[in-house]
Amino acid sequence: MAMIFMRTPKTTTYLTAFAITALVFATAFYISNYFNSKRVVNVRTTQDQIAIDILSLETQFDLLAEHSCKDIAENSVLSRELQPLGERLSYLENNRGANDEELLRLKRYYSLLEIKDILLIQKVAAKCKLKPVVILYFYSNTGDCKDCERQGYVLTALAEKYPTLRVYSFDYNLDLSALKTLTAIHDLDGELPALVIQGTPYYGFKSIEDMEKIAPALKKLPSSTSTKEKQ
Amino acid sequence: MSFDIVVYIALFLALYFEVFLLISFIDSRRSTATPLPDSKLPTVTIVVPCFNEEPGIARSIASLLALDYPKDKLSITIVDDGSTDNTYEIARAYTFDPRVTLIKKKNGGKHTALNLVLSNTKSEFIGCLDADSTVQSDALRHIITGFTDADVAAVTPGIIVREPRSTLQHIQNVEYRLSIFHRFALAAIGSVFITPGPFSFLRVSAVRAVGGWKHAHSTEDMEMGMRLQEHGYRIVNVPLARVETTTPATLRTLIRQRVRWTYGFLRNALDYRHMFGNPTYGNLGLIVLPTAVISIFSAILLATHVLWGLGNALQHILVRFSILGFHAPVAPSLFYVNTSVILLLSLASLASAITLIVIGSRLSGHRYPPLSTPVFLVLYGFIVPLWLTIAVVRAALNTGVKWR
Repeated sequence: MAMIFMRTPKTTTYLTAFAITALVFATAFYISNYFNSKRVVNVRTTQDQIAIDILSLETQFDLLAEHSCKDIAENSVLSRELQPLGERLSYLENNRGANDEELLRLKRYYSLLEIKDILLIQKVAAKCKLKPVVILYFYSNTGDCKDCERQGYVLTALAEKYPTLRVYSFDYNLDLSALKTLTAIHDLDGELPALVIQGTPYYGFKSIEDMEKIAPALKKLPSSTSTKEKQ
Repeated sequence: MSFDIVVYIALFLALYFEVFLLISFIDSRRSTATPLPDSKLPTVTIVVPCFNEEPGIARSIASLLALDYPKDKLSITIVDDGSTDNTYEIARAYTFDPRVTLIKKKNGGKHTALNLVLSNTKSEFIGCLDADSTVQSDALRHIITGFTDADVAAVTPGIIVREPRSTLQHIQNVEYRLSIFHRFALAAIGSVFITPGPFSFLRVSAVRAVGGWKHAHSTEDMEMGMRLQEHGYRIVNVPLARVETTTPATLRTLIRQRVRWTYGFLRNALDYRHMFGNPTYGNLGLIVLPTAVISIFSAILLATHVLWGLGNALQHILVRFSILGFHAPVAPSLFYVNTSVILLLSLASLASAITLIVIGSRLSGHRYPPLSTPVFLVLYGFIVPLWLTIAVVRAALNTGVKWR
């Protein structure tokens, strides 16, 4: 087999190749955007569901003074849904960039839901004489907090160790007035990572042992190992 | 983000060129040339330049003697270019055959060996066989079918890897299949610019007209291809003319070989820079040569990008592991399936590479691509930048390269 060849450029070949390559690129962008939009919709739907749950619980709480503490205490589904939602937002942040406007909107919404959940927990605790352990975690992902990644993992491990522990993460730089108020209430000075454990602020990296020393109440929470042993 | 744009441009150019070659290949008019009868076959001289080729010289000569070609029209000249081992003695054992001539000369480089034979030959065509290669018995008859017109100055064969053993040789086996497609498609657009050492044949009158071989930064076969193109000659490819070549078995020897090739290309590209972007040289000037240079930098850039990403991911995994131990990063969910544009484009490039390997295999008479194709697809992109980077630095510093 030999080749009868064309040395002279054929414009159609150049243009066809360009059109096909452009089509492949356009398809890749389209597919990627399609799935990203699906993810955003997924997060938004979950957030809306959580918002409805919180509102519903608040309303019940306000309407029925005699609302069963047992019912409310068992309704820990909110926090359990907030945690994976945070992970999904973090994934989107890594893939879409921290300055994506849609993502920032979702993060603001997420932070508001967290604050609403904190307030609700405080109400429930007062009414039902519960003593939940609450940790607020303030981080930054603009490169000015070298220990934030490690601190995040430590809190994940801590939350796994103590399933009833309530950990709320906040992007310190997020432009949200309710968040500014929350940081002002706790007199945070901007040093990160910052942890508010049982209402008291702590700065810098804290290991699980550090946090157990700071909040002895942690050790009184049922741990995942003890839960497994009971089972 | 700005770096992402550079990556997108690199990916676009790489994909564009592959699509361009594929269209040219589909568009090409292939003719199944009928083999010439013995009486019409031209006279041919094959040069075997050798310098310390003790391990492979006997095999190469034996394969040449087994060529299916009229004995009175075939001359084999072995040029011992100042070997210090037993190459000469081994070659001398074959001088019983009247087709074989053995010359011993002072070491001067491959181009001097070729020019020595060129100046004395009376044959119509001259070919070369590196002493690390062997030919199939019908290869020369196939090659001759490529010289269809007077302006065809050279015909290149289909080069395959001889008995791959090490992982690197298996990877090269796939790479050579891909090269078979590339050479064929480049020939389709009149843009072959290398006449490889293993069994390329040239029209003696054309080589003499352009002035014979030069040292050309230790890549005389590349420079000859570019010079023939510069003078308006055509170079044809016949992949069924199969040549088996021994490839480097270790990373060190592979890098040394490829640094020489890439260095030679870059320095020759500089010498022939007037051809770049020049429509006088058709597709070669407009797209092939510019893309060949750009692809060197693209390959380095893309590999750096991927390694940087993998490094970052590994760092996060290690930090996570140091705190959480073995722990699934997140609950398994379709939500976390990577659908980034770069990954999708990489998959498209991978699909395109597989297609071209399949075509290359078919062109050279193989039914299927090598089994090592998946290994090639995973590792090749990370190995190539090793020699590309070294070659770019050395070419920039004009350090020169040696054969060994």
